[in-house]
Amino acid sequence: MKKNNKAYISYFDTISCGGNNAEELFQNICEKKQTISIIDDFIEGKSVALGKIPNSYDMYEELEKRCKILLEKSNIEDFSDTFLIIASSVGGMNTSEKIFFRDGDYKNIDYNHHSIDAIAYKLRNVFNFYDDVSFSTACTSAANALGYAKEVLHKGIYKNVLVIGAETLSFTTVFGFDSLSVLSSKPCKPFDISRDGMNVSEGIGIVFLQNEITDNTYVELCGVGYSSDAYHMTAPSEDGYGAKLAMQNAIDDAKIQKNQIDYINAHGTATQANDTAEINAIKSLFEGNIPFVSSTKSITGHTLGAAGAIEAIISSQAIIKGVIPPNNNLNDKITDEVFLLTQPLKKEIKYVLSNSFAFGGNNCCLVLGSVK
Amino acid sequence: MKINLEVISYDFFINEDSTSTLNTKALVKNMGIRRKMTRSSKLVVELLHNIQYNDQRVIYSTGFGELQTSSKILNALITNDFVSPTDFQNSVHNTPISYSSIIYKSHKEMLTISCGDTTSKKAFKVSAIKALDGDEIVLICCDVLDIDRIREVNNTVKYLEFAAAFKLKVSDLEKTIDADDYVRDKEYSKSIDFARFLIHNMKKENKNILSIEV
Repeated sequence: MKKNNKAYISYFDTISCGGNNAEELFQNICEKKQTISIIDDFIEGKSVALGKIPNSYDMYEELEKRCKILLEKSNIEDFSDTFLIIASSVGGMNTSEKIFFRDGDYKNIDYNHHSIDAIAYKLRNVFNFYDDVSFSTACTSAANALGYAKEVLHKGIYKNVLVIGAETLSFTTVFGFDSLSVLSSKPCKPFDISRDGMNVSEGIGIVFLQNEITDNTYVELCGVGYSSDAYHMTAPSEDGYGAKLAMQNAIDDAKIQKNQIDYINAHGTATQANDTAEINAIKSLFEGNIPFVSSTKSITGHTLGAAGAIEAIISSQAIIKGVIPPNNNLNDKITDEVFLLTQPLKKEIKYVLSNSFAFGGNNCCLVLGSVK
Repeated sequence: MKINLEVISYDFFINEDSTSTLNTKALVKNMGIRRKMTRSSKLVVELLHNIQYNDQRVIYSTGFGELQTSSKILNALITNDFVSPTDFQNSVHNTPISYSSIIYKSHKEMLTISCGDTTSKKAFKVSAIKALDGDEIVLICCDVLDIDRIREVNNTVKYLEFAAAFKLKVSDLEKTIDADDYVRDKEYSKSIDFARFLIHNMKKENKNILSIEV
């Protein structure tokens, strides 16, 4: 395998409770806006804080609209030379739930609209992609999708890759995380001593990658690192061994030194176990030379299978704007050994490490770099 | 672009239902883990043992994921019961390979793909592209559809349980199985039918070389 093509990010777009596009999202992060909603009617008798997109949001309509905008703004006329990678943890579960709760049986559930492939299925009916694949590794789905995009571009298999991470708010995930007692009733507080859980969210992250630099290229996806914890189905090991391994693998893949990382966009879900393990992994890997660290999930919530794409977009914005995004809702830091910013910081950024960790100890980290 | 893959070893389970006895007790000594494992997780752990899994990267593919636990959660929600935390942790598509990584103590990459009707075919494409790195790749194709009331949505698939594992590496040898000869068998779920076709055309005593168009 001799090819060594690069993976350049030439376009991105996003929608979440944090903002209607990448610009708005990054601005809201830097202004530390409160974007998480306290919802009383999702779980009976209990308030939960969720990341709901305002107004009447339909994921499939939004995806179609956003893909058409991509075609208008990019250097391609259609998707016939584009490989589509969908990332989602629940796919069409939201649709199946509505039918099952209405009918009380499965008879009217169309499996094409139920599965993870439901998103690609809808898009294939509108656009003519070269081919597609859908990934579902829970909360690392989109990071794994971006990692695979980098691999196929690097190996010269495809020249354009469209990665879409998409997640809806489903009863299965909200009640499921509630059963694990990791849902907060307030906007989450990553890396705060008093953090009490996460905010499940809906959202879309769209990242278009090409093997050549265009007029709109500012960021390269330079490295990807995978690992498995081999420890527990839902809890990370306290020392964060799997997370550390994935970060190291990503840095090695990018062929840079760890002291070249300027900023880590952390997974930072604000659960007790996850934040502790991630901070321990960062401290262990970077030793005395730890980059700035923040979690942006206090603004976006945890968009699960879409999170890796949305956070790659935030990381790209940080590089383009030269601003390290702050932690929000952070009052009492869990450590003073890691520089957890509480205000945005203007700084030239060459490399960002974006972390994603998931159920089953599935880990994927990405290194994004400035194209200059 | 075509990539030829040698099938170093393979094994499979094909059953009409999920009642067959597995060897899980011998393979998973930790009773706490064993009792929580889903049926597909048990199938995958046993297949990995049977193909002499040795810390390779794993590509797991499933069209429908953990249907049993997903349906248990939906039924808990509609009857206002509590959702079981074990059911929820077992509901994600990567459940079987997560248990496998714990049981086989593997820190390697474990990827899960799910592409509806074309899942197993696309899983071979992803595996072929990954295998270009030069290492051996383990590919698993699995769908367990034997859940309560499955007949409400299924009246054609006879074999409700299918799991197959393939240890693969890139090869320069001529293909022995032509994927273009694939013919659909309606007694199997479309999601795994390409893997079924390959299995039915492989010969245990010979080298099996697949040609995968990516």
